[in-house]
Amino acid sequence: MNAIETHDLSKMYRHGRELQTVVDRLNLSVPEGMVFGCLGPNGAGKTTTIRMLCGVLQPSSGTAMVAGEPLTRPDALKANIGYANQRASVYSDLTVEENLAFKARLFLAPRAVNDAVKRTLERLQLTERKRSLAAELSGGWRQRLSIATAIVHQPRLVFLDEPTSGLDPVGRRELWDMIYDLALKGTTVFVTTHYMDEAERCHRLAMISSGKLIAEGRPENLRSSIPGRFFELGANDLAVALREAKLLPGVRDAWITGTQLRLSTDESIQAQDLEPIGHEVRSVAATLEDAFVFLSKQAAGKPL
Amino acid sequence: MKGASAWGRIAAMARKEFRQVLRDPALSRLIVILPIVLLVMFGYALNGTVKEIGLAVFDASQDRVSTALVRAFEKDQRFKAQRFDSSFAALESVRQGQTHAVLEIPLGAQLAARRAKAVPFTLLVDGSDPSLSSQIRAQASAAIQEVATQLIAGRALSTPGLTAPLSATFETLYNPENRSAVYMVPGLIGLILTQITVLLTAIAIVREYEVGTMEALIATPIRPLEVVLGKIVPYLAFGLLDAVIVLVMGVWIFGVPVRGNLGILALAMVLFVLGSLSVGIVISTITRNQIQAMFGTIAYLFPSIFLSGLLFPLEGMIPFFNAISYLVPLRYFLRVSRGVMLRGAGLENLWVEIVALGAFAVFMLGLAALRFRKTL
Repeated sequence: MNAIETHDLSKMYRHGRELQTVVDRLNLSVPEGMVFGCLGPNGAGKTTTIRMLCGVLQPSSGTAMVAGEPLTRPDALKANIGYANQRASVYSDLTVEENLAFKARLFLAPRAVNDAVKRTLERLQLTERKRSLAAELSGGWRQRLSIATAIVHQPRLVFLDEPTSGLDPVGRRELWDMIYDLALKGTTVFVTTHYMDEAERCHRLAMISSGKLIAEGRPENLRSSIPGRFFELGANDLAVALREAKLLPGVRDAWITGTQLRLSTDESIQAQDLEPIGHEVRSVAATLEDAFVFLSKQAAGKPL
Repeated sequence: MKGASAWGRIAAMARKEFRQVLRDPALSRLIVILPIVLLVMFGYALNGTVKEIGLAVFDASQDRVSTALVRAFEKDQRFKAQRFDSSFAALESVRQGQTHAVLEIPLGAQLAARRAKAVPFTLLVDGSDPSLSSQIRAQASAAIQEVATQLIAGRALSTPGLTAPLSATFETLYNPENRSAVYMVPGLIGLILTQITVLLTAIAIVREYEVGTMEALIATPIRPLEVVLGKIVPYLAFGLLDAVIVLVMGVWIFGVPVRGNLGILALAMVLFVLGSLSVGIVISTITRNQIQAMFGTIAYLFPSIFLSGLLFPLEGMIPFFNAISYLVPLRYFLRVSRGVMLRGAGLENLWVEIVALGAFAVFMLGLAALRFRKTL
């Protein structure tokens, strides 16, 4: 069974006479029990999608089933889901424990509240900090608390909107450990990100650009799905090599990554064709970023 | 697993809100101190009766009758007389703001009195402050009345059978010393209730939108009406606490009487506070940040102050504004609080006002729930 099923889900906003489409006929299926990533740049419509799926925002058209309930029954739907928004919105003048207890009381019968709070504190290793005011928490702990308030009632499905924004690498890794832990215990996690390395860690991935779904699948399949070849090479003058590479027929794109030049080409190019430009030419696998760039250009109808 | 009931969610909301207010030291102090400061300010500073008004005197007669006239003006600290040598100098002192009226007595006051003729004199009043000039007129006519009575009494001795044409007895009911505190305290309860409840609820809700916690709340099963009710309960309590503080202080410090039934007053308070809290919620649905909410509250507060009869009597208003004042809930609350406390009025006199307050509460609560639903 699928945790989320959307059918032509759309959101339009009217700005004066202009109609702006933020989410454009989105069709998604998210199987239960997995970490489902939603990758896209800022403004791609990720947050709007989450808000519609959480029953916070009314879609302009289309339908969806979320955690076994249709969007038309938001009250029933909301009881089954958790939502941690992008701003990690918790009450900064309440303690960690009070924030959790408040959230728990909105979902659970009074008798179940204490156990739920205690269990969640332990699960997210927040027990030591339970008496700290949320305002005193660092960014990472605040995110953690925000996620804790989203899962305190043990929802079947939890939405995390850019949970790692603003975190250091260690914090990000810890947070992802937590996300896997949630999935292992049977919760479906719908997470948005604009980090490629995070997208790589999802079981399945939806790529969204300008409100449209441009690809969906396992990260490794998305990477290998794009046609053409990728190369990396060194050069004494990268700027000159870049200019030369772009003039070569068969090269779709070229760009500098650190001390290397990276090229995206069609099937006609072999490694030896690139020897005149630089040295140590290597054929490399496409990254998720390569896939995203290719697919979003393709979707927008731009030259590849 | 059985979920939270509607009452459970309302209670959770109310509990959270209480905790947030109590945790904010500035806010919780404000809730207690603001009514006290306002009470002292309005009770003492806004003294209705002015004593020792500056009076410029140009007395050309300098005889017994003119002296008696000036003395009557000075009696009971009505005026503080300052003598000048010319009417021009006397007028100049008014222009400079040292005095607020000129009493000019021409030559021959005593002579006129002896010949049983009217004693001519002129009183010029500074009209730049209407409330002051009306006080000057009232005080002056009291002084003139006294002298006239004395002169008539003198004539009556020489003319048998002559008595004063009018003999009036003045007595002020309910607030004999004309103390402003007695008048202000019942009104102040209403003003403070309005200010605290409207402002606090509006800000409490707008703040949730600003921080993003409202979005998180909307994603939970709590319903709009439950949010509204949960938000209202703590501020209802704080508002009523303030009302009690003002009431108790008014009785103890300013000796304001409570002649009527406190139950009627309490009923009016609850209805009035419910309505005002709902106004705060409606404001929060129109505004999107705390500064806008502040201005929204002020926009509501000003007509409440000026069109309710709190400071200025409604009878003196031009018909247009008098008609508008019927839409100001504070007007009805003031009539109840003043009626109950000062005159001991009962439900038979105040039921219209109570019904008006009830309608206000129901209408605003409904509007608040409706508006709030729309913004979700």
